[in-house]
Amino acid sequence: MRAIKGVLFFCDPAVKQILLVMNEKQSFIIEDLDDHHLVIKADEEYRVRRELETELEKNTYSLD
Amino acid sequence: MSHLSVVLDLPPAQWHRSARHDPPLALPDFLSHVLVFLNAHIANNAENSLAVFGAFPGTSPLLYSSADPVPARLPIDSNSYPSFVHLDHAVARRVTAVLDSLGTDRAPEPSALVGAITKALCYVNRLAISPSSAAPAEHVLPDPRLLILSVSPDLATSYIPIMNSVFSAQKLKVTIDVCQVFGPDTVFLQQAAHLTGGSYIHLERRDALLQYLIMAFLPPPPIRKVLAVPTQDKVDFRAACFCHKNIVDIGFVCSVCLSIFCQPVPVCSTCRTKFPIKTLQRLNQSRPLLPSTPRSTSPKSSPGTPAGARTAPTNGANLARSISTPNELPHSSNIGSRNSNGRSHSMGGSVTNPGPSEAPR
Amino acid sequence: MPALQRPSEADKKDSPHALLPFLQTQSQTTLTRLYQRPSSCLSVFRLLAPLERQIVMNLLWLESAIATSTMVAWVQRDGRKLYEEALGNLSRLHILPNSAAKLALNFTFKTSLRQALTGGGTSGSFGVPAEKDEHSGPSIKTLDSFALERWETILHYMVSSGTGQQPAKPSQGVLFLLQRSSLMSSFHGGPLQITSSGFQFLLHSPHAQLWDLLLQYLHLAQERQMDLVEVLGFLFMLSTMELGREYLTENLSTTQGVLLEDLRDYGLIWQSKPKSRRFSPTRLGTTLTSSSPPLPTTISASSGPLDGFIVLETNYRIYAYTDNPLQTAVLNLFVSLKYRFPNLVVGMITRDSVRRALMNGITADQIISYLITHAHPQMRKNNPLLPVTVQDQIRLWELEKNRLKSSEGYLYTAFTSQADYDLVLNYAKQLDVVLWENAAKRCFFGSLEGHLRIKEFIERRTQNSNS
Repeated sequence: MRAIKGVLFFCDPAVKQILLVMNEKQSFIIEDLDDHHLVIKADEEYRVRRELETELEKNTYSLD
Repeated sequence: MSHLSVVLDLPPAQWHRSARHDPPLALPDFLSHVLVFLNAHIANNAENSLAVFGAFPGTSPLLYSSADPVPARLPIDSNSYPSFVHLDHAVARRVTAVLDSLGTDRAPEPSALVGAITKALCYVNRLAISPSSAAPAEHVLPDPRLLILSVSPDLATSYIPIMNSVFSAQKLKVTIDVCQVFGPDTVFLQQAAHLTGGSYIHLERRDALLQYLIMAFLPPPPIRKVLAVPTQDKVDFRAACFCHKNIVDIGFVCSVCLSIFCQPVPVCSTCRTKFPIKTLQRLNQSRPLLPSTPRSTSPKSSPGTPAGARTAPTNGANLARSISTPNELPHSSNIGSRNSNGRSHSMGGSVTNPGPSEAPR
Repeated sequence: MPALQRPSEADKKDSPHALLPFLQTQSQTTLTRLYQRPSSCLSVFRLLAPLERQIVMNLLWLESAIATSTMVAWVQRDGRKLYEEALGNLSRLHILPNSAAKLALNFTFKTSLRQALTGGGTSGSFGVPAEKDEHSGPSIKTLDSFALERWETILHYMVSSGTGQQPAKPSQGVLFLLQRSSLMSSFHGGPLQITSSGFQFLLHSPHAQLWDLLLQYLHLAQERQMDLVEVLGFLFMLSTMELGREYLTENLSTTQGVLLEDLRDYGLIWQSKPKSRRFSPTRLGTTLTSSSPPLPTTISASSGPLDGFIVLETNYRIYAYTDNPLQTAVLNLFVSLKYRFPNLVVGMITRDSVRRALMNGITADQIISYLITHAHPQMRKNNPLLPVTVQDQIRLWELEKNRLKSSEGYLYTAFTSQADYDLVLNYAKQLDVVLWENAAKRCFFGSLEGHLRIKEFIERRTQNSNS
């Protein structure tokens, strides 16, 4: 048996796909659990969240 | 917040009788109980509004309104809540002033209960419409109530105005509560409470007036859904005729304007509708041998027996059915009696009572 | 996408008053001392729920205790649960002693409330009114503008902290309280900055804000060893006083003297000069236990009604009929303002403006309830009051911000047998630390706090099986 320290992400499948793409550039995922769950390295959480934020911003459009 | 209008029935003669009755309840004691009850209403919520009307012989002044400006000279002290002092002073002062002005030499007039009720309803109406007209009325004044503390017996002449007040109250969604503090049950006020979803209480333990008032009349309608209040299981539904103002067991209703008469009439006195002579004759023949009321003053009355009274409804029902054929219109149809145990007999489409067409709330 | 929940406006009405939970934590001796003052009893009575008030009234004039069953007989069948809850609340306030068989009010409470209703007695708990004389004290208008000025100074200070503006500072005592209640805090010794609970605070109704601060004050008073009964008694006395009348300070204790100065800073009390022998409660003070607005509804003709100045359209445009800098500043928290006219501010609710608010810790519900409570009378004709599109969009923006939820912990994997897996999983489930599990892969994710105990559990088991 093994216990691995990490952070559990709960997200929708779309966000998960973005995370997977990001992972190819710089690996941080420990385990891909299922459509909604991922375990990532604990010390990467802040960076991943910030990058995800900018990635999602690219996909929103506003009038002004 | 909620609004309460109170009508205090204060005819000196009747209160004099009440003070000598056993157990006695004199006017000062009554007022002190009522004032504590009114304070309790104000205490419930600082926004609760209150209006108190007095019904004296021939006059029905406003004794107190929570919208009154507080007089500058109000003697408040550190032991009492200013609003209570204001209320108590205003009511006590004005009651004394009116009673002093009445004098003793005048012939005893009946107390102006109807006037007070009407004024109280007008007051509610004013509250309901005046502030910001943009908001619907229900937001401004939820559950307005009218409490009548009566000591006078029924006055047959006041039947029509009381019924009209009841209809206005229903329109305004006012609940009418009645407490008969002294004297016999009043039929009209009983009906008023029943028709507006209020409660009618005939005070049994006069020493416990305050407890009655608080338990039955303090809670606003939403609370009554949780903590029940006493209601009447018997309602006397009898109406008074328009011609002699008698309370009748069997009445005759004009099919056009629904006026009630104690005997068949050839012409309706209200709407001038003429009825066929044949119908009149038949109605007269089939009338039971029964006066409309024992103290009837109608010329054609004859003494009857209680047994006769019980058979009356069935006769009436048959009669109504037999005459309500279209080709005989206009006619005077027989009104079915509403017997005193509260069950009503509805007769072949004829309206027995100028009561509401909709069920009481 | 999770279903949008739109709580109805009626849901929020019936929550108990903010002070009651605080009173319930007090000891019976404290409360009984408080109940010796008729004005306190009257105020506490007013804070109760309507049903609780009726129960108290029903019992108030009874000389002896009545059997529980007698009272229950009056309760309608549907109302049993409400009734039981009401009794529970009353007994936690020690207004009804805990007793299964008999119902009777706390004797002290009963005596004092009776005295409040009938008047008389010698408690002096309603404050000693000053004689009206030539210098007849402040007008109601003076009091209102004073209260408003003090209160808005506090709020304005909060809302403009960190924006580089330098608004008027409230007094030192107020600043300390704001910091203590963590509505504001200073980061690394810098100037005070508003916190996320501070942002939420700004969107509350003035009445709720007032009680929020007063509750904090009460907690502080406890720590300062001030006599809580005197503090509460004074607040309740204020709430039963008459607006526009002057009262004398002579019967106040030293604690209450200190209180007087603090409450002056909040705008609850007006005094002509600091050491005056007279004081007047303002509307903030006299409405403490009522539901009428604690601040005057109209200050001047130009500013319009304080409650109800916002018009929100389906195109996310917002028109606020106000010239009040505080209201404008509060709106600026979640609206991007476009134009400003003498009596009107126009803005848009945009994704960015709402996201900025969400970042500050304000929730979508708070934005919506602020818009509802301050909706212009014209808006009140609409049903539903706010355009549904805008409401839903604000909630969607909130959901969008929370697309990713994370929690730290340990992934347990590579179990040797199904039995091993089941055993550990069951233990973890008993601890209620399992966040995710998958039987096929034989692994589960447990939260951080459960890890030590799971580790111990496995070690113990391994030792047992080895020995």
